[in-house]
Amino acid sequence: MEGRRAVRKLLLCKVLALGLGGSVLAVGPAGCSNDPYPPAEGKKVLYAALGEDPHGLDPVQAGDTLSGGIVAQIYDSLYEYHYLKRPYELKPCLAASMPQVSDDGLTYTIPVKQGVRFQDDPCFAGGTGREVTAEDFVYSIKRLMDMGNEPRGSWLLKGKVVGLDAWYDESVERAAAGRKMDYGRPIEGLNALDRYTLQFKLTEPFQQLKYALEMSYTAAVPREAVEYYGEDFVNHPVGTGPFRLKEWRKRWKLILERNPTYRDDRYPSEGEPGDAEAGLFEAAGMRLPIVDEVHNTIIGEAQPAWILFKQGYLEGSGISKDHFEEAITPEKELTQEFMRKGVSLTKFPEMVVYYVAFNMEDPVVGANKALRQAMSLAYDTEWRIEHFANGRAISAQGPIPPGMFGYAPDLRNPYKQYDVERARQRLAEAGYPGGVGPDGKRLEITYDIGSAEPAARQSALAFARDMGEIGIQVKVVTNTWAEFLKKTIDRRLQVFSVGWILDYPDPENFLQLLYGPNKAPGPNRSNYDNPEFNRLFEQMKAMEDGPERLAIIKRMVDIVVEDAPWIPSIHTVSYILRHRWVGNAKAHAMTGGYLKYRDVDVELRQRLRREWNRPNYWSLTAILGVLLAMAMILAVFRRAAPTGGP
Amino acid sequence: MLAYVIRRTLYTVPLVLGVCLFTFLLFNAVFSPRALAIQELGQHAEDEAIRDLIHKRGWDKGVVFNKQAEGLRKLTDTRFVDHMQKLLLFRFGRTQKTHEDINRKILLGMVPSLTLTVPIFIMGLLLGISLSLFVAYFRATYLDLGAVAVCVGFMSISILVYIIVGQLLLAQHMRLFPVYGYAGGIHAGRFLLLPVLIALLKGLGGDVRFYRTILLEQIGQDYVRTARAKGLGERVILFKHVLKNAMIPVLTRTVLAIPFLFLGSLLLENFFGIPGLGNMTVEAAANGDTQVMAAMVYLGALLFALGNLLTDISYTLADPRIRLR
Repeated sequence: MEGRRAVRKLLLCKVLALGLGGSVLAVGPAGCSNDPYPPAEGKKVLYAALGEDPHGLDPVQAGDTLSGGIVAQIYDSLYEYHYLKRPYELKPCLAASMPQVSDDGLTYTIPVKQGVRFQDDPCFAGGTGREVTAEDFVYSIKRLMDMGNEPRGSWLLKGKVVGLDAWYDESVERAAAGRKMDYGRPIEGLNALDRYTLQFKLTEPFQQLKYALEMSYTAAVPREAVEYYGEDFVNHPVGTGPFRLKEWRKRWKLILERNPTYRDDRYPSEGEPGDAEAGLFEAAGMRLPIVDEVHNTIIGEAQPAWILFKQGYLEGSGISKDHFEEAITPEKELTQEFMRKGVSLTKFPEMVVYYVAFNMEDPVVGANKALRQAMSLAYDTEWRIEHFANGRAISAQGPIPPGMFGYAPDLRNPYKQYDVERARQRLAEAGYPGGVGPDGKRLEITYDIGSAEPAARQSALAFARDMGEIGIQVKVVTNTWAEFLKKTIDRRLQVFSVGWILDYPDPENFLQLLYGPNKAPGPNRSNYDNPEFNRLFEQMKAMEDGPERLAIIKRMVDIVVEDAPWIPSIHTVSYILRHRWVGNAKAHAMTGGYLKYRDVDVELRQRLRREWNRPNYWSLTAILGVLLAMAMILAVFRRAAPTGGP
Repeated sequence: MLAYVIRRTLYTVPLVLGVCLFTFLLFNAVFSPRALAIQELGQHAEDEAIRDLIHKRGWDKGVVFNKQAEGLRKLTDTRFVDHMQKLLLFRFGRTQKTHEDINRKILLGMVPSLTLTVPIFIMGLLLGISLSLFVAYFRATYLDLGAVAVCVGFMSISILVYIIVGQLLLAQHMRLFPVYGYAGGIHAGRFLLLPVLIALLKGLGGDVRFYRTILLEQIGQDYVRTARAKGLGERVILFKHVLKNAMIPVLTRTVLAIPFLFLGSLLLENFFGIPGLGNMTVEAAANGDTQVMAAMVYLGALLFALGNLLTDISYTLADPRIRLR
């Protein structure tokens, strides 16, 4: 008995020692630092996170914000947005000046900057990047309109440039047959007049062309790179931008480094009021880009990204629903913890509109204006903002989001003020007192959603509840996104909820959603068709921003408000957190190459990171202690082991 | 034995064909090509672009009969034949968006996956067996009871909870490990510690309980009583006799797991940023990359068959009474 006890004790000690030793071994080397990055070696590095890998880095395919956001750092277009000025304003990027437009608005002549070179790359003879010429833009725009390249932005120029549609149609045929386009073929309305002059001939006045020439879709792409890399071009971007791709390991990291042959580009010295106070002019006149590298980690989950941000290993962060209360107080300010860290909070209205659309061709809701107005009155926006967006949204009154030319902050849509009593009255006027129609039956509305996710479902149930308040019964139909789109295209929906994210900062981009000729399959999903609105739209579309245009937009919005083809729901507001060592950061609604302006105070970051990340050995010791104590207690109070079987 | 191995390998042929067929049905019935195309094209999805994309991916070809093709190609130039050919010849093709060679991607992704799963496997095995021996030694004591209770507790908690709590406690609160990231070569160790630790904890509960049951079953056998009667010490009995005889069920459990080490871990890789095959599979599922998904499902099935074969062979090594014919 004695001997066995001794053996037992020995065994117990051995296991405990092993466990302890193992933990120390495991923690020892890790304890040095929880820094997830390789050493910066004296370089100024910006650390960011991407939610997923970009879907390739070919400019003509950069349709989503994430891919576009990386492409815009590597490729330049003819124009770019001014970084600081608001409302958004274009300035020349690879163009030497703003376009010269002929009096009829049909001919655009654009001088191209001289001496700009593509980044050095093996695709060029001798490996040295050659100069960008007007011919490169002709090539790049032909590429955009060639279906063989799977472009995402051909809608931008369709029907606008003389001869380009024929090129596009041919490319659709050729792509189906697996044949390539002949890029030597001239296009009537798209010409390089000389080495540095580009000219567009348009089929109709298209005031928005300048915005199209800002987007990455029309960025300068060297033909050499496309031909050299072929199918692999999506992984080998070759541009003229401030950064070039250093390393891209899928699902791991994407690193951009300073393009050493980047043109002389300077930090702006003009902006809007408040920029000086925000310290945004300290870098005025500085050569861009300011940082040497941008280290993007691909992080698919919210929690690790959030912890990395709190530890100082990411410069900025959004706030997911799960972490909202940790960072933001009910008064919508930063919590103490984040204040102490010196984190800044930017509330930034996004240029987005979410709306409930009525199919205007539907015999019930389409034909009955008072019914639509009644439903709009019964729609509880504030409740939604609080419960679905954590308060991060503003109630939409019309189709145009804040920050956009034509947005009227004082607009009060009379049918968008939540008022159940008035809604009931209006419903009675519509012929459905208490929700019961002339045939004595309760009114039933079909509401389609394009996703089976809980958020979409909850929102639909909220809609059903709101309408139930005034006696309308709602049948919710859940579709996949594709089915949903197909139904909108076939005009088979009755009431449904959709959103629109802007493409360029011109109200035309939002008002076109209500323009009659754009009916489904076009983007006018509610099939609204009002001759007066259409006439005003055509007039407004070709105008420059000014009081006259503003007056027309106001009339258009008033018409839409009264006709109520939509219940405008919300414009979302994004909350952005940033550490205090990040400099020159200003939120921008448009995707673009803004990382070149960003700065980092490396010393401050280093100091704070160290301060925030001292390993907490005490709690480790405490946990090990508790485990040890538990084992001891068990060992001491154990019953004598039986000698036989169990 | 060779005959047995050959026969078993032949048995896998219908299995493999079945899996090919199943993945084909899965990816052609569950995902409609039009849905995938519209999803990929987004806000400005236009009819021409949708049609073009469907064509490029070969989704518009006949499923088993291609009306447009000539002669015999009516039967061979179809989606079904394409699919079977790719899988059976291990030519998985290219990823949809970035046109990467899937075979190469799989080989590259195996390295980080193995650096994660192999330590988990080996340490889990050693720790599981030694702890269960320990618990079995103290059988029918409060220690045993407590250990079983703890094990059941560990088993009942979802791995997501381990990951989330592990990251919050060890990475955020104690700041002992990097919470996310990866580095090649020797530096990988730093990033692997926390996921390995979490996976060990998660696996331990089930392992210890399982091995303990097996050990106790052996301890009740006559040969143990005989050994005890001969005057052998409890330690010798446990290590020399019981452990050896308990090897068959242990092998069933472990050898079957070996091939799957190559596929990595979906959740751990995704939460800790390890660029392995698990991570790749999650991405493919999110992006609707059916090529990658079909390849991974197929590989998984093959590895499962391989695992079964290995298990059978390992029995002969552990138990001389078993002969494979």
